[in-house]
Amino acid sequence: MSVTRRDVLEELDRQSDASAGEPTSVESLTDALVVDERTVRKHIDGLESCELADLDTDGQVRITVTGEELLALDLDEMIVVDPEGG
Amino acid sequence: MSEHDTNEAAEAVQYDPSSSRYDVFECPDCDNVVLALGRDDPPMSCHGDPMQRVTDCDIAVKPPDVRQVLLDAFGLPKAGLDICLCVIGEGPLSANEVAESLGYDRSTVTRYLNKLVDIGLLRRSELNREEGGVVNVYHSVDLERMRRETLIGFYIWAGEAAALIEEANVTKQDYMAENPDQELPEVFWESFPDD
Repeated sequence: MSVTRRDVLEELDRQSDASAGEPTSVESLTDALVVDERTVRKHIDGLESCELADLDTDGQVRITVTGEELLALDLDEMIVVDPEGG
Repeated sequence: MSEHDTNEAAEAVQYDPSSSRYDVFECPDCDNVVLALGRDDPPMSCHGDPMQRVTDCDIAVKPPDVRQVLLDAFGLPKAGLDICLCVIGEGPLSANEVAESLGYDRSTVTRYLNKLVDIGLLRRSELNREEGGVVNVYHSVDLERMRRETLIGFYIWAGEAAALIEEANVTKQDYMAENPDQELPEVFWESFPDD
C-alpha cells in the first residue's frame, strides 16, 4: 500500500501535538500506516521542508503549529507551501 | 503549395455541428451568434424565437493549443500549468521541491503561484509558524468554481476577440464605402494600433 505525504501528516497529527510539544516516533508512524520506514522518513523530510513537521535530534517527530493549521483548512488538492515567501 | 501551406491546411478544422462538443447558434433575423457548451435544452432564443444551429460555415480555423489558450486568455505561461500539474496528488510540497522538480528558480515558482492566485485558479492562505511570522500556502479553489471561473473567463476573452473581429469587419466595410479606389491595408491596420 502506498501512502501520500498528506497521509503521513494526518497520522502525525493523530500521534503528536504541536502546542504540547508532544512527539511520536517514526516507528509508530510506520506501524500505523503499514508502510516501510524509508517511505515514512522520505515524507517526513518533505514535511519538514514545508515546516509542517519537526524532527528532533533524538529522531522523535511531531506536527508543527503550521501543520495543524494546514490540516484545519481541510483542503482537497494542490498545496504548495512557501516558507520563504511569507 | 509549400510544405508550410500543406501543414497549415492539414491542421485546420471546421465546425462540425454533429460533434456535440459545442454548438453555434445564429438568429435568422439579426447578427446575433452565440456559442453554447452543454445541452440545447431549452434551445437558445433571440427576439423570443428559437435560434438556429449553424450548419453551413465554410471557414476553417487552426485548432487551439491548450498552452496557447491559457497564455492568451489568462496570461498564464506553460510554467504556471506545469506547477499545477506537478503538485496535483503529491502535495503538500515546498516551493523549493516544485522548483527542483521542474528545473525552475524558486523565485519563478513563487511568481507563478502568485500569478495563479491573481487569475483566480489558486488561493493563498497564511499560516502561523512556530518561530513567529507566517508561511504562505497555495491551494486549489473548489473544482466546480474553478470550472466556472475558467469557462466564463475564457468566454469573456472570446467575447473581446469577437468584438475585435466585428470592429475589423465594420472598419473594412466603412473604408471600402468611402475609398472605393484605394488600397485597404494601411488604413485598416492604423485603426488597430499595436499598443
